[in-house]
Amino acid sequence: MKIADHHYQRIVSAKLFIDEHFDGPINLGTISRNACLSRFHFHRLFSKIYQCTPHKYLTRKRIDRAQELLKDKDKSIAAVCQEVGFESLGSFSLLFKKEIGLTPQYYRNMAFRKKQLSKEQPTTFIPHCFIESHREQQ
Amino acid sequence: MVTRLSHTSLFVNDQKKAYDFYVNKLGFTVHTDATMENGFRWLTVTAPDEPNHEIVLFPALENVTGFDEETKNALKVLLDKAVMGAGVLLTPDCKATYEELKAKGVHFKSEPKEQFYGTECIVTDGCGNWFSLTQPKEM
Repeated sequence: MKIADHHYQRIVSAKLFIDEHFDGPINLGTISRNACLSRFHFHRLFSKIYQCTPHKYLTRKRIDRAQELLKDKDKSIAAVCQEVGFESLGSFSLLFKKEIGLTPQYYRNMAFRKKQLSKEQPTTFIPHCFIESHREQQ
Repeated sequence: MVTRLSHTSLFVNDQKKAYDFYVNKLGFTVHTDATMENGFRWLTVTAPDEPNHEIVLFPALENVTGFDEETKNALKVLLDKAVMGAGVLLTPDCKATYEELKAKGVHFKSEPKEQFYGTECIVTDGCGNWFSLTQPKEM
């Protein structure tokens, strides 16, 4: 399927819009209308270019952001869920587990431990040869 | 038997700028961000489809790297000229990625062009390296 240049511009703009507004109540119907494309055509072009449906892309974007926010222990999981644009904590937890393979709570504990360790014992993460070559040349 | 490449060092002349390019522009994920007592920051990122291949954004010109002055000067010349081709980045759609990165202010050495192996353009990271950005031809 050959995609026309002007369609590229519209789909890329739509994707950038999702990137910027994924945390709000995004309506993919509105986005396709703004791109001057039918919902069906928008869905087909977006899926062809990005190899995933607009809805799946939006979900992935929200989960990615949630992963970042979960590293901050001050925020409750419910707050993270809301902040990334999910309306229901149940569906957020299910989708998170489906995408990442861990529950949000388990992911948080792991991420927090890694963050703490990288602060307290940074050399744990650096291959020893890099540290040694650095010392030799000091 | 060698089975996998787990880390690749990428020399950059500005680690903060590199973070912005690889994380905010390309959408890579920070894998490890650990700063040693002497200030050396071990920063690695991964591409979406390769979560186990860490790209080390190595701040080649900083004092804490352990390089002597001569080495640093040589690296500075190469990085400032941005002559080093660091690799090939794959994309499902070269034209769309080109449009998107251009909209984000990324600099390109060439526009998407058909090659016998696919569609390719040349993108620079703004920190001393360039990459082929390729959409492989469907077989």
